Amino acid sequence: MLQIIKNEWRFLVRSRIFLGLSIAFILTLLVSIFLGNYQTKKQEQTHQNAKDHVRQQWVSIDEMNPHSAAHYGTYVFKPANLLSSLDEGVNSVTGNVLRVEGHVQNEIIHSEASQMQAISRFGKLKPSLLLQYIVPLLLIFLAFNTVSSEKQSGRLKLLILQGAKPLQIILSKTFSVWLYGVLLLVFVVIIYGILNIDSITAEVLIRTGLFFLSYTLYYFIVSGLTVFFSARWQNATLALTSMLGIWIIWTIFLSNILMSSVEKWHPLPSRNEFQSAMKEDRSKGLDGHNPKDKRGLALKEKVLKEYGVDSLSQLPINFDGMRMQADEDYGNSVWDKHFGNNRNVLQKQKQSFQLGGIVNPFISLQNTSMGFMASDNLHHQEFLLQVENYRRVFIKMLNDKQTYGGSKTGNWSWKEDNTFFKSVPDFDHKPIKFSTIIPNYLLDIVLLAIWSIIVVLLIRFGTKKIKIV
Amino acid sequence: MIHIQDVSKSFKDNLAIQNLNLEVKKGEILGLLGANGAGKSTTINMLLGFLKPDSGTVSINEIDTFKNVQGVREQIGYIPENVNLYPYLTGIENLDYFCRLAGLNYSKDELQDFLTVCGLQSEAHHQRVSGYSKGMRQKVGIAIAYAKNAEVYLLDEPASGLDPLASNELSKLLKKLASEGAIILMASHDIFRVREVCHRIGILKNGILVKELHSKDVSANELENLYLEFMQN
Repeated sequence: MLQIIKNEWRFLVRSRIFLGLSIAFILTLLVSIFLGNYQTKKQEQTHQNAKDHVRQQWVSIDEMNPHSAAHYGTYVFKPANLLSSLDEGVNSVTGNVLRVEGHVQNEIIHSEASQMQAISRFGKLKPSLLLQYIVPLLLIFLAFNTVSSEKQSGRLKLLILQGAKPLQIILSKTFSVWLYGVLLLVFVVIIYGILNIDSITAEVLIRTGLFFLSYTLYYFIVSGLTVFFSARWQNATLALTSMLGIWIIWTIFLSNILMSSVEKWHPLPSRNEFQSAMKEDRSKGLDGHNPKDKRGLALKEKVLKEYGVDSLSQLPINFDGMRMQADEDYGNSVWDKHFGNNRNVLQKQKQSFQLGGIVNPFISLQNTSMGFMASDNLHHQEFLLQVENYRRVFIKMLNDKQTYGGSKTGNWSWKEDNTFFKSVPDFDHKPIKFSTIIPNYLLDIVLLAIWSIIVVLLIRFGTKKIKIV
Repeated sequence: MIHIQDVSKSFKDNLAIQNLNLEVKKGEILGLLGANGAGKSTTINMLLGFLKPDSGTVSINEIDTFKNVQGVREQIGYIPENVNLYPYLTGIENLDYFCRLAGLNYSKDELQDFLTVCGLQSEAHHQRVSGYSKGMRQKVGIAIAYAKNAEVYLLDEPASGLDPLASNELSKLLKKLASEGAIILMASHDIFRVREVCHRIGILKNGILVKELHSKDVSANELENLYLEFMQN
């Protein structure tokens, strides 16, 4: 087998067309890696500047009523993720700025796609774009003729007479084509590693390793199937046509059809439906700014009773802050219910879409590529959850200061000084540990492995029927 | 020894070989003459183990081709009408590659010797095969079989398309191999070359061996007349 692989590589190395194409493609890959890295680092810098600016604004509050400060709010910026320089995933369409304030959970805004025509149409030039779409095409073009050319030239007979077995020949040719894809992948990973040598952690290594694994499995599937068709069909054109058809179905049609079907099976409410439902549920709760609100009055009676006083003015605390927090707590439960529903639906969509990998390994590749590079919707949802948790801590701190900071009910002119505002923590995004979310991607990896085994079995048993004469 | 006994082979309704009986002994060259579709290549493919006869037995050195195809193939050197080598490799690299596939690791000198013995000029050894003539490729093809220490040589139209000089060199080489004890079966259209090279000649028509004779018993002209007679009847 080693001899056949070596010979295949001698052909590749000595072919001027192949070398020219490879150099052009490697240069494109290099550009995409540098560009991806540059964009991510620029985004990181922009993110840091914006974060510092907003924090500076917050810590510069000289004196302010804490609840007014809750309305004043702050901004949270989705940090640029170094891994996403390899695969942008959903990041360019999900937005990266979120306003954090009292009473309301805002939506994330300012997606790159909404601001750049090219991105919304074609996506960014990231290595993943080339690795997912172009490398498999290159592998197909390299492999479609490998066995059929041997058959048509009569060399297959000679090879077999020299002792090579058809299975060995087909597997060797599969491995040599696959190796080309793997080397491109190694090149991407090494350049990426060199550019980010200071930021490499165990987490990054594990994620990149699994990213590498999923691509190598996918490339094996593509190479193996193409070589199999090349061996099985009578002519190379038929092998090329079959494999290009499969490539188009996998990458373009089936992915979109499956995603649309999954969205129909597990529909998310429309934005209008969602907002109306939230508003309706919210209206059933306590209105923090309305002292005559029925639930507010009930809370007031309860608090007066607890403190054993008759009126709000006798309370040692500021009831306004307490009412605001009660309003906030109710709002949080409404958010938990509706966003929880949405998260459940998204989870179901993800699980169903993952099953699409049974018929389309490209789906599994996309899932793992985005997931391992921390740029899929799961990671985005986790970020949103962290922001919401921060918002709750942030607003509660302000409301508690309003309540217990020394002011009296109705005293809206009471202000806290700068020391307090400085003590309010900034949002600190904690990247999700991969070990906690690995189960979400096991199915994808398993399906890619099963596909690889199927291809091996296809080659193993399909080669028995190959016509040599 | 090549031994073909009562062999018949058909493709769907087309009977390609009918009750064929042939023997080629050590040091002997048998030429199979016949028109296109006469069954020459089918016979060779059965000997190579690529086609299974519907009936009868095919064996080489008393090993049944279909009972131990690998064992048979180890003894065979096959030279097709067009020896399609790898054009991006040199002559010596092609030979080395095919030898290694057969599990034979020769030194560079040994490989060069094989090519020289088979008539390939030394300056061509390190040239890429893409620049070779058909005759030069045939020589590398024979060198592959020779380096394999093949006892049996099966040649399918080996002289087709060769210029007279190359064809003559091929004849000499085959005679030399036979004198060293090789068993050679050669299928061809070339009556004169077959008459010149082979010890015995068989004429195949529609899958039937219609005539078998010793080449020393006929002149080239007689053989041509005999062949045309069989083909026209």
